[in-house]
Amino acid sequence: MNPSVKQEKSFAIMLAAPSVLVLIITTTFPILYLIWSSFQNINLAMPMNDGFAGIENYIEMFKDKQYWKSFRLTIIYTVSTVSLQLLIGLGLALLILRIPKAQWVFRLMAILPIVLAPVVVGLFWRTLMLTPDFGIVDFFTQAIGLGSHAWLSEPKLALFSVILIHTWQWTPFAFLVLLASLASLPSDLYEAAKIDRASAIKRFFYITLPLIRPAIIIIVIMRSMIALSAYAAIYAATRGGPGTATEILNLYAYRTSFLEVNFGYGSTLAVFILVVTVSVATVLYLIRKKNN
Amino acid sequence: MNKKIRDSILTLLATFILLIWILPLIWSVFVSLKSEIEVMAYPPNIFFEPTLNNFRDAISGSLSIVSELADSLIIATITTTLTLLLSIPAAYSLARLNLVGKKKLGFYVLATQMIPPMGLVIPYYLILGKFGWLDTYHGMIIVYMTFSLPFAIWLMVSFMEDIPREMEEAAFLDKASRVKTLLYIIIPQVKGGIAVTTLFTFMNAWNEFLFAVQLSGNKVRPVTIAMYNFVSVEQTMWAKLCAAALIAMIPVIIIGIIGNNHIVKGLTLGAVKGGGRK
Repeated sequence: MNPSVKQEKSFAIMLAAPSVLVLIITTTFPILYLIWSSFQNINLAMPMNDGFAGIENYIEMFKDKQYWKSFRLTIIYTVSTVSLQLLIGLGLALLILRIPKAQWVFRLMAILPIVLAPVVVGLFWRTLMLTPDFGIVDFFTQAIGLGSHAWLSEPKLALFSVILIHTWQWTPFAFLVLLASLASLPSDLYEAAKIDRASAIKRFFYITLPLIRPAIIIIVIMRSMIALSAYAAIYAATRGGPGTATEILNLYAYRTSFLEVNFGYGSTLAVFILVVTVSVATVLYLIRKKNN
Repeated sequence: MNKKIRDSILTLLATFILLIWILPLIWSVFVSLKSEIEVMAYPPNIFFEPTLNNFRDAISGSLSIVSELADSLIIATITTTLTLLLSIPAAYSLARLNLVGKKKLGFYVLATQMIPPMGLVIPYYLILGKFGWLDTYHGMIIVYMTFSLPFAIWLMVSFMEDIPREMEEAAFLDKASRVKTLLYIIIPQVKGGIAVTTLFTFMNAWNEFLFAVQLSGNKVRPVTIAMYNFVSVEQTMWAKLCAAALIAMIPVIIIGIIGNNHIVKGLTLGAVKGGGRK
């Protein structure tokens, strides 16, 4: 082998090794530990039963009604927040694109919700926006004759509210990515379509949409991952309540592990979340690969 | 329709939507400037005598969040520094050098980035507990590396790939000159990328909540936990919460404003490969 090539190889390993080592220790090892604990009984409240459990926790999971409910809530939460972000983000991007001046103001404002800590967003909405007879949202619904509502303590409304909060914080992301993607489209295509007298709707569906498809797929990938790991905003707004009306899998795994101190079963739920996340990611990446 | 009229209608509509959208933030600024009595007025007052008492309390009063701010600063700064030191050489190796098993390693980094935080907080609670590292700075920094390092590596890889190849080809001789190439040719080329990575890493560490609330909380108290003290079952100190939260969010709001254009680029660049995590 050429000595310079050989040396480049050893240099490359030298540079990458520290990171890889840190990742193995800080991520892979804990995940293996998590998988191992999912096959154990680890309950700090009943330590005398601790020990190997086999697939007991997994059998318990499939029989557990709350698990199914949380799983369903996770699907509702993820699908609805991601679709809302895409639809509203696309609408806003198409609107702002047609504004001749000061687009940067809108871009700058859109950054604000994104950079806030989700826990702060959850607290702001819980207090300032949604408190009955105090919050702005409640004030407006009363003003237009829809009345005051227990936004966070009535089960169906609470689910709506946490979806609203997530959508509020992350739609600007979809908006910004779509705006950048729309702004980079070639204008001569549209000129040609205009000459051919294609209607605005046709132009959108046959020219714009196919061209921004890569951006849409990227948004769906990123937003699904974030929605699947959502925790802080819901915790701050409802703690999964009222009852378990907004307890998506993350909050259920949290409650099981840290409030009921049943770490074995909590680990099993977390392994399931991991499996769901990896499956969704794999499917989305395959779609993306096919598209390129 | 006249083009000018159409443009002004669209601008008006967009401005209206935008104002509604950031209403929660605007309102939090209003509330933070109110006295606790004024806050309770319903329907809400837009005109009132503003006071800075809430901000004073959040900095120097009994509800001070200064020590929490310091804790967040320590954790976020060290996490960011370590992340940069590790990720820049790794990204260079992955993006530009003849690294053995490059594809597999890239995939591995991507996979670690996708681990849901709930999958880590449970084992970390048990593992850090065994070492007696719960509620310590080093414990928190180790945990924060789990999401910052994979993200930073991928972000840096995408910036490194943009450098024209001719730049380094000629300089390859021995190990010393390879190190020099990295330090004096490559790193200056990706200054912008390093800045974006720094902002992102710092912001994600600053805003983190799940690990903070479960793995620390007494001796080490990141600022995201402090927010919680203002809202309890017995009472909610609305105005004080707003003031404290706004102070706590100043660093990330500044990051958002100065990094405006880069953040969008960073978000999409990261998105091409994997994606960030909050």
